[in-house]
Amino acid sequence: MLRKLAAVSVALLIGLSGCGDGGDEETTEGPVKLRFLSLAWQKDSLAANRELVDKWNAEHPDIQVEYVQGDWNSVHDQLLTSFEGGDAPDIFQYESAAIGEFAKQGYLADLSSLVSSDLKGEISDGIWKTVTFDGKVAGVPFLLESQVVLANKKLLDAASITVPAAGQSWTWDEFQANAQKLTKSGTYGVAWALKSPTNRVMNLSLNFDGKFFYDNGGKTEVKVGDPEKEIPRRIHDMLYVTKSASPDAVGMGGTDPLPGFFAGKYAMLPGGVFLRQQMVEQAPAGFEWVTLPPIKGVSASQAANPQTLSISEDSKAKKQAMQFVEYFLNPANMARLAQGDWLVPTGKKAGAELVTSTGGKQGWDVAVASAGDLTIAPFQTVDGYPEWKTKYATPALQQYFANKITLDQLGTQLVDGGKQVLR
Amino acid sequence: MTTLAEAPSANKPDYKARARSDRTTIYLLLLPALLPIVVLSVIPLMRGIYLGFTDARAGRNVDTNFTGVENYRELMNDDLFWSAFRIGLVWAFAVTILQFVLAFGLALLLSQPLKFRGFARVMALVPWAMPPVIVGIMWRLVYHPDAGLLNEVLYRGGAEGLQHNWLGDFSTALPAVIMVGVWSGMPQTTIVLLAGLSGVPRELHEAAAVDGATAWQRFRSVTVPSLMPVIVAITSLDFIWNFNSFGLVYVLTAGGPGGRTMLPMLFAYEEAFRYGNYGYAAALGNVMVVIIVALLAVYLRRRLREANA
Amino acid sequence: MKASRTARAFQYVALLVYMVFLGFPLVWMLSTSFKPPREMVEIHPTLIPHNPTLDNYVEAFTEQELGRAALNSLQVSLASAVLTVLIALPAAYALARFKTKLGTAALGWVLLSQLFPFVLLVIPLFLILRQVDLVNTHAGLILVYVVWALPFALWMLQGFVRNIPRELEEAAAVDGATRLQVLRRVVAPLLAPGVVATSLFAFISAWNEFFFALVLLKSPDLATLPVTLARFVGVEGIARLGPLAAGSLMATIPSLIFFAFLQRRLTSGSLAGAVKG
Repeated sequence: MLRKLAAVSVALLIGLSGCGDGGDEETTEGPVKLRFLSLAWQKDSLAANRELVDKWNAEHPDIQVEYVQGDWNSVHDQLLTSFEGGDAPDIFQYESAAIGEFAKQGYLADLSSLVSSDLKGEISDGIWKTVTFDGKVAGVPFLLESQVVLANKKLLDAASITVPAAGQSWTWDEFQANAQKLTKSGTYGVAWALKSPTNRVMNLSLNFDGKFFYDNGGKTEVKVGDPEKEIPRRIHDMLYVTKSASPDAVGMGGTDPLPGFFAGKYAMLPGGVFLRQQMVEQAPAGFEWVTLPPIKGVSASQAANPQTLSISEDSKAKKQAMQFVEYFLNPANMARLAQGDWLVPTGKKAGAELVTSTGGKQGWDVAVASAGDLTIAPFQTVDGYPEWKTKYATPALQQYFANKITLDQLGTQLVDGGKQVLR
Repeated sequence: MTTLAEAPSANKPDYKARARSDRTTIYLLLLPALLPIVVLSVIPLMRGIYLGFTDARAGRNVDTNFTGVENYRELMNDDLFWSAFRIGLVWAFAVTILQFVLAFGLALLLSQPLKFRGFARVMALVPWAMPPVIVGIMWRLVYHPDAGLLNEVLYRGGAEGLQHNWLGDFSTALPAVIMVGVWSGMPQTTIVLLAGLSGVPRELHEAAAVDGATAWQRFRSVTVPSLMPVIVAITSLDFIWNFNSFGLVYVLTAGGPGGRTMLPMLFAYEEAFRYGNYGYAAALGNVMVVIIVALLAVYLRRRLREANA
Repeated sequence: MKASRTARAFQYVALLVYMVFLGFPLVWMLSTSFKPPREMVEIHPTLIPHNPTLDNYVEAFTEQELGRAALNSLQVSLASAVLTVLIALPAAYALARFKTKLGTAALGWVLLSQLFPFVLLVIPLFLILRQVDLVNTHAGLILVYVVWALPFALWMLQGFVRNIPRELEEAAAVDGATRLQVLRRVVAPLLAPGVVATSLFAFISAWNEFFFALVLLKSPDLATLPVTLARFVGVEGIARLGPLAAGSLMATIPSLIFFAFLQRRLTSGSLAGAVKG
């Protein structure tokens, strides 16, 4: 140890100044080695990931993939540090909302010329747009999370509300009316878990064509007009006017509302399709739940933030890396990965396969059908969106949903924040 | 004890002389600690400080320019940062003071010849020993509005009226996270004070007891003064650590609701790692260092002078 | 120094309150680790699981290589603790006993280095370690942890040295003991509690450290416990609570055992013993 220490200091004394290419041991012989940073964390999805990598390695002795597991909370820091340090994984999993920044910083390979036409055709143009920045494709989108509504079937029946079929969405007016019908003493119609409200509001606002970000002669600016106000106002109404949504649930995130939902305290729970997994694994015996299709305004459109597989610009074997990605995301494999994570596959064949193999049960019919409503929203390609979101939009929305400021004040804060960030 | 008090005065010059001849050994003693600090702390730190005067940004092959005080001009008008800074001061002071008071009480208890003392000492270490990744998650469960442990205890204790949405309410969010901060930092303060207590010469206590001093007087005139160096060291470090910590709060509230728990280090972290503004983030760091150093200098100068007197 | 009966009773009550406050999350974690998934979302949670299960442990250990991660963590933490104390002890003694400009500067620096947001130091540090090929090695991580723990170690230890009455050392010196003998017979026993506290600090902070371990170690075989445990946490902070609690409990216990052995030492350095020498 002391010798290492001495070695460190000597090395530093001799020549630290800036020569930044240590550790370049390029091997020309032997198989190509690729590092794949995966973010799988659910039991089934983890098993699927590992199995696919093992299978690939067995079939491709000349392209060996090392499976490295990361986690969602720290992946951003991990990637940024390894990009800066020149030690990034060849292939990594992340999401479209986050890779835009990396793409603009030049860390990601442009995949447009590497993706096969088969894979390209599988995925809709609207989804491809969410991973295209300055004309460059920064990743292959493969898993989608659409916003649906989970409901307590017995409470729906008791209020004689019929369950809409896949593709037969309720309008927001119907949803709000039904929420009110379901509200009695001890039960709220809805639990809006809005700990991270901004993405949720941005996504749903597409229902009413609320774009928030507008192009003004080459300069992006935030506008909050009537379309943008629809979703915040409706949620706020449910919380404080009709009182059909629980104000305590507003600060919750992720799976926090589940105890209340299972105990019948909340009749409906708007949330991502992945929540179905918790229904299957955690609902008490005898609890009946259903997946309601996404709610619609003037349309049922939602912003898509697909999970992606990207390749580092610094990777020495981009072609081989893409070969692996193509294999990893072929329709059968993509269906399996989606099933493991309880998310919707972007590929059309994979979706069809999934509905067949599950018989559309456990809400798979609704989930897969909702993929058609997912598309790109303006906020997704805006420089500085993360900053606007954290510094201005999230605090402002939290204040509005806690009934501390008015709708107009919310609008002003969002617009002013935009002026600060989008200079 | 009596021999100790008499002996040294006569022979002091001799001892001093020897100390002088040891001067080279001092540097030898210091060297192993200084070397790694210089290599792995001074160099990165210098670079970090320098970045605060540039427009450094994240990116591949991005040029960095020296911009002088540009960042600081911008920073003066950054209301969000200053509001975070105020929250950070409240947080750091509250956590440090509560931590110190509670830990001192616990350390005094644990130094008493109580039964189960060994077990209690191990339990006192729990917050420190638990992996941080689960600590935030456990405390979210404690504060959960529907199925939280705290509300459940209130419910079973018949105090349903006190049930509350602890982390979601604008007025209770900061106190709630301060409580978690106190909890998580208690062990190291306790252990250090406990170790310090054992260094308090028992004879001094006994001599004071013979003089008829009450327990409280003994505590004030013997325990506290002889612990002073340790107290100063641990409170200063605690303050710095608390000011710099944000991981736990991030898991609990992510700065919400409405920015009520946005700590300055979380702010700087997001500036660097989320928006890629290394230069500006480093400038935030520099400013915070200067302010905190000024605060500490006042405290340390007074305390250390007292301790050395 | 005998406490009255009521005072004693009060002390026990106070101790109990402290134990509940500090220990209940551990108890809750223990209870959670034996709960099946359905019991984790009950609106009125119970301490004793209705249908206790070992599934969480099985899942935690079969899915992630927690055993190997624990060994890695143990190696890194022990090495960091030992090295930290070895390096810090002489320096702390010098800092406390002799006033030098260098010493004052070093102490000041030590505080300063703790103040600067560490997130901004990560990238330069990473680049330095890369220069000397210490990225993706335990040695590199240990080095970082030692530097990380040194400030605390130096500050605390020099505080403890100051706590030892100089007269004791001087008296021993008068008796004709060499400096080394003074250190061994007089200073060392009195410093033992401080050394224990410091090594404990170095050990646990290395044992629990997440960020550097994540960034510096790439190979899965080298991963430490905190990084491995984090894999049970998914999107939006949703965790697989069962396996996470089971794994976390297994990660907590070694620290507690380590401390159970050391805790006696915390108060062993009584002055009475030292004066005899």
